[in-house]
Amino acid sequence: MNIEVTIFLLRLLAGLSLLAFLLALFAVIWRNAGAADQQPAAAKITHGYLVCEQPPVADADRRCSLRPIVTMGRADGNTVVIRDDFASANHARIVLEQGKWWLEDRQSRNGTQLNGETITRRTILTDGDEIGIGKYRYRLHLNREDLAL
Amino acid sequence: MTRTDVSNPVPLHRAIVGSRGRGNVWVLLLLAGLFIFAGMASIALTRPTDAQLWAGFAVWIISALGAATLLKWRLPSHDPLLLVLSMFLSGWGLVAIERLAPAFADRQALWLVISVLTMLGIAVFPQVLRWLRGYRYSLLAAALLLLAATIVLGRNPSGFEFAPRLWLGIGAFYFQPSEIMKVILVAFMVSYLAEQSATFRASSDGSAGATGLSLRLIGPIVMMWLLSMVILVWQRDLGTAMLFFIVFLLLLYLSSGDPRLLLSGALLIVAAGVVAYQLFDVVQLRVDIWFNPWPEADGRAYQIVQSLMAFAAGGIAGTGVGLGAPGYIPVVHSDFIFSAIAEEWGLLGVIAILSSFGVLAWRGMAIALKHTGSVFHRLLAAGLTMTLLVQALMIMAGVLKLLPLTGVTLPFISYGGSSLFACHIMLGLLLRLSAGAR
Repeated sequence: MNIEVTIFLLRLLAGLSLLAFLLALFAVIWRNAGAADQQPAAAKITHGYLVCEQPPVADADRRCSLRPIVTMGRADGNTVVIRDDFASANHARIVLEQGKWWLEDRQSRNGTQLNGETITRRTILTDGDEIGIGKYRYRLHLNREDLAL
Repeated sequence: MTRTDVSNPVPLHRAIVGSRGRGNVWVLLLLAGLFIFAGMASIALTRPTDAQLWAGFAVWIISALGAATLLKWRLPSHDPLLLVLSMFLSGWGLVAIERLAPAFADRQALWLVISVLTMLGIAVFPQVLRWLRGYRYSLLAAALLLLAATIVLGRNPSGFEFAPRLWLGIGAFYFQPSEIMKVILVAFMVSYLAEQSATFRASSDGSAGATGLSLRLIGPIVMMWLLSMVILVWQRDLGTAMLFFIVFLLLLYLSSGDPRLLLSGALLIVAAGVVAYQLFDVVQLRVDIWFNPWPEADGRAYQIVQSLMAFAAGGIAGTGVGLGAPGYIPVVHSDFIFSAIAEEWGLLGVIAILSSFGVLAWRGMAIALKHTGSVFHRLLAAGLTMTLLVQALMIMAGVLKLLPLTGVTLPFISYGGSSLFACHIMLGLLLRLSAGAR
């Protein structure tokens, strides 16, 4: 066979195998990215509950199961109604976003505390966190069944 | 995870990826092997050649298959893409060196064997990570001593009188201590930062204004870093010095999370550049020809201008292996190997190399994110990945005249035994970390 033809065929082989290698590489990445995408879904924390630890309240009001948006404040429409003069009408809320629970202050007058510190921006919550509004203290229990309900 | 999604409708890529979703390393290695074979065969046809060329190819096949088999057997949960990418790049390096500097090709093949064996040793024996951490002061002292020894005993394999003397030689065997220094310095900084990470966090969580980085905390690292920088600057190995500095900053940023570090670091680099411009002829030259190489295209800027010409000559598909003229670039097989690849493999080759480094970086950072348990392991994976990536970016941008030229090697591809060796050590550590080191 003519040497130029052979060289041309080899160039073709080089180009094709290079493209095939890249395609295979991206197929693996695509696949892995898909697997990584599914992973947080499995680990999503979609249930949990709040317990009011201070001050002592009636048992019926003590626990509150988490739902995608939990609002807290003095006004009656809130999920968790706080009978405290230091609480604003719409004080704070806990929202579920992409499998994570976030604590947001809703421009309350006296601020919302997370583990004793006033939060300045929306903050991610973890199991066992303590949320403070006025003199009320709520303990967060994530990823555990609420046995009382 | 691996069991549940088997039942999903299987798209085309299943054949490549394999049913366990971990990537079928054999298909990728086969494609890489075909590509390298095509390169070697083209060289064999375009110039009178000897058996040495096919010996290099055989060495590559044995290293790749041996490494993949051993890793699959002894370290089944490792990330297979790391090995595929490193073997692909070093195989391409072998072809390019065979094409550009056939006299050095057998030496490079020998170094590849040594490097792959070392990489396997590091990946398979779990003690290495503990040693890196436990004996960090001894390792750093030894590396510094070797580095300092180049000031007195340093040689340059090329034998030119005024070439930088960065090598230590024993007979025909040369070694560049600054390459191994990379690994040891990263491991040292990481193990120190990992121990201090609790303190960092405590002090940065306090008041918003206080920085978590008091000099007391980072003093020892800064000292060690300064010491190595002095030696490097003394030796005019400015590319490596710059690399250390960037990696050092990125590691500090990763462990503290303070974005001001990056800004002040960038300013420091500019300031250091201005000072170095006044002090060193080399830096002045590099910056001058970076601004405008054309007045001196026949003189001091010859190398970079020829490199740009090579990129232009390559076009999209390249000239074909053995059919271009990358030999016009002086010492093309070392720092400028990327230009030669751009000429003979074209834009396609350039994109392939960029993608490979990109995927390598992504996998490395993924390993760092996966290790939620140990700060040392996370930072080590991130530090090693960043060292490889920053080095690759520095030289690729350098030969393209996007950045002033800094004489570092292109990881895995460039000619240079010490460089190949150091890159494989880093890869071995990443492989170990990817398998979930305890």
